[in-house]
Amino acid sequence: PLEDLFTTLNRHIQASSYDNVVKLTDQILAISPDDDDALRCKVVALIKDDRVVDALSAIKSSRKHLDDFHFLKAYCLYRQNKLDEALESLKRQERNDETMLLECQILYRLGKMDACIDIYQKLQNSKIDNMEINSVAALVMAGRSS
Amino acid sequence: NPIVLDLAYNTIEFPSIENRM
Ligand SMILES: [K+]
Repeated sequence: PLEDLFTTLNRHIQASSYDNVVKLTDQILAISPDDDDALRCKVVALIKDDRVVDALSAIKSSRKHLDDFHFLKAYCLYRQNKLDEALESLKRQERNDETMLLECQILYRLGKMDACIDIYQKLQNSKIDNMEINSVAALVMAGRSS
Repeated sequence: NPIVLDLAYNTIEFPSIENRM
């Protein structure tokens, strides 16, 4: 039953065993093709395993749930350096700390430093660690002035 | 060009599946 598969899946997630996560999610999706949790676990495992091409395929294979996957899709496109497409995908997602952080990284690659720094300043008040934000913002500012 | 740390990667997490087990 699905409950057993999810129990095993959870063990693989805790062990960061991404290959096995993908195998288990494929088993769940074979039984329950529209399972949102399974698809999300599969996409996250593929991303964590640096398999962004496969992650994109997995997202595209499930048209029904595409609405919930704009952030993950944008991240994969960013990793493939498809920056305009990544921004387009990000625009479809409600703005939050995570989307702003990714937006900033995309803008940085596009050379839009001022817009990038604006967002990093907004992120100072976010739940994302200030030290990490500050170190990245410092790098961006150093790059801008050089 | 300095390399910007990929902090977005760190924000990507597995969903909670406790209620599915
Ligand atoms: K913060």
